[in-house]
Amino acid sequence: MDKLWKNLLISIKREKFLSLSTLIIMTITFTVLGFFLSLIVFSQTAVKYLENQAQITIFFKDDFSEKNILSLKGKFEKDEKISNVNYVSKEQALKIFIDLNKNEPILLESISANILPASLEIRAKRLSSLSALAVEFEKIDGVEDVRYFKDVIENFRFWSNLYYLVGLGLVLIFSTISFSVVIALIRMTINSKGEELEILKLVGATDAYVKRPFIFQAVFFGLVSSILSFIISIAWILSLVGSKFFGDVKTVFVLSVVEVNIFVYLVILGVVLVLSGFLLGYFGSLTAVKKYLKF
Amino acid sequence: MSQIEFKNVSKKYGQDSAALDEVSFSINDGEFVFIVGPSGAGKSTLVKLLIREILPSSGVVLFNDGDVGLIPQIDLPSLRRKIGVVFQDFKVLKSKNVFENVAIALEVADSSDEAINNVVPNVLGLVGLNDKIERFPSQLSGGELQRLSIARALAHEPDVLIADEPTGMIDPGSSAEFMQVLDKINSLGTTVLMATHDFSIVDRMKKRVIRIENGKVISDKNGGKYNG
Repeated sequence: MDKLWKNLLISIKREKFLSLSTLIIMTITFTVLGFFLSLIVFSQTAVKYLENQAQITIFFKDDFSEKNILSLKGKFEKDEKISNVNYVSKEQALKIFIDLNKNEPILLESISANILPASLEIRAKRLSSLSALAVEFEKIDGVEDVRYFKDVIENFRFWSNLYYLVGLGLVLIFSTISFSVVIALIRMTINSKGEELEILKLVGATDAYVKRPFIFQAVFFGLVSSILSFIISIAWILSLVGSKFFGDVKTVFVLSVVEVNIFVYLVILGVVLVLSGFLLGYFGSLTAVKKYLKF
Repeated sequence: MSQIEFKNVSKKYGQDSAALDEVSFSINDGEFVFIVGPSGAGKSTLVKLLIREILPSSGVVLFNDGDVGLIPQIDLPSLRRKIGVVFQDFKVLKSKNVFENVAIALEVADSSDEAINNVVPNVLGLVGLNDKIERFPSQLSGGELQRLSIARALAHEPDVLIADEPTGMIDPGSSAEFMQVLDKINSLGTTVLMATHDFSIVDRMKKRVIRIENGKVISDKNGGKYNG
C-alpha cells in the first residue's frame, strides 16, 4: 500500500497539469451530478405532493339540492380516477369565506350563506386525469362552474421534467468527459513509464502488479473528486436550509410544503457520489489499461 | 536431465528469412554454455524464445520439461522468475537507485519487505556493489550497470541465468570482472547461458560452446573455442 501511495505521488508530481485538470473535471462532473440529482429528487417530490393536493372544485347551482349533490358524491367516490371527495355546503362555504375575510367587516356584512354555492372538492389520483374529469363534471346538470389549478401544476411538472432531462443530459456529458480524461491520464502515465513497464514485465511482474498502480491512481482521483463535490453539495444544500438544519433535522426544504429529511438525504447523496467516483475511476482506468497496456 | 531443450525450433519475422532454422540442442542443469555467432545469427532470438518474449514459428522450446509456448499468459511471470536475464542494454530503472533496482525483482513477486531487505544486500555483495546501494544508474560505470543487471537477475534465485551480449557495452576490464561473477554464480549451481560474439571471453573460459550461423546450429562442443 505504501508503494502504491509513493507511485501515486510520483505520478502526480510528474503529470501536475493533467492531474489537476482530471481532478477539476471529475469534481465538476460529480458536483453537476449532485446538483441535478438533488434538483430532480426535490422537484419530483414536490410534483408528487402537488399532485396529491391538486383538486377540482365543482360549484353547484342554487336549485341543485343537497340530496342530489350527496348522490353525486357517492357516485364519485366509486370512481377509480378519484381519490377523495369532500362536500362543502353553503354554510361551510360561508364559514370559510368569513375566515378568509375576517379583516373586512364591510364585505362580510352583505354576505349570507344563500349567495355562496355548495361545492364538491375532488382529488384525482393522477394529475393527468384532472382535465378529463373537469370536462366530465361540466356536463353534469346542476353544475354552475368547475375550477382547478391546472396551469400551475402542469407548469411545475413541465419544469420538473425539464430539470430531469437537462440534468440527465449534463450528467451523461460530464461523465463521458471525465471517463475520457481518466483514460487520457492513465495513457499519459503508461506512455511516460513505457520502458519501466517493459522491464517490470521482463523481470516477472504479473499483469495485476503492473495494473494496480494505474487503477489505484484513477480510483484515488475518483474518490477525492467525489468527496470534494460532496462537500460542495453539502455547502449549497445547507445554505438553502440555513441554520434550521442544526436545530431541526427534519427540515422543510425547497417548497414550504415538501418535507425532506436533509440528514438522510445527505447521507444517501454522499454514498451515491463516492460510489460514482469509485466506479468512474475503476472502470475508466480498467478501460485505459486494457487499451494501452499491451501484454 | 535436460533443463532447457530446443527441438527443431524455427523462427521467422514476417516474410524475412528465418532468424532460426530447425535449431535443436539441450542444456543440462548447472551447465555453463556460450551461444556464439556473428551479429544477426539468431542468438537474441533464442533468448527471447526462452523467456517467451516471442513464440517459435515451428518446433518446441522446453524448460524443465514443460513447453514454454503452451504456458498460459497468467503463468508467464512465474517462468520469468525462474529465468534471470542480463540484457545487453542493462534495462535498469533510471529513476530507482541500486537497491531499488534489485528490490523490484522481488517486489513483483510480492516478497515481504523483510525478505527484500535480506536478499538485496546479499546479491549486491555477490556482484560487488554493496557499497553503492544508494547510487542511481546515472552514477554508475558500464561495468557496474552490468553487475547491477546481474544482481537483479539473481534476486529471485533463478534456475537459469541468461546473459544476452552482456559485454557488448563495457570495457575489457569490466568484462573480465563480469565473467568472474558469472563463473561464481555457475559454481553455486545456477545454469548460465551466455549469448556473445566476444571470442576472447569464450576462448578464455573453456566452456561448452554452441555456434549459430544464419539461424542454424553449426557446432556444439564442450570446452570449445569461438571458432570451433
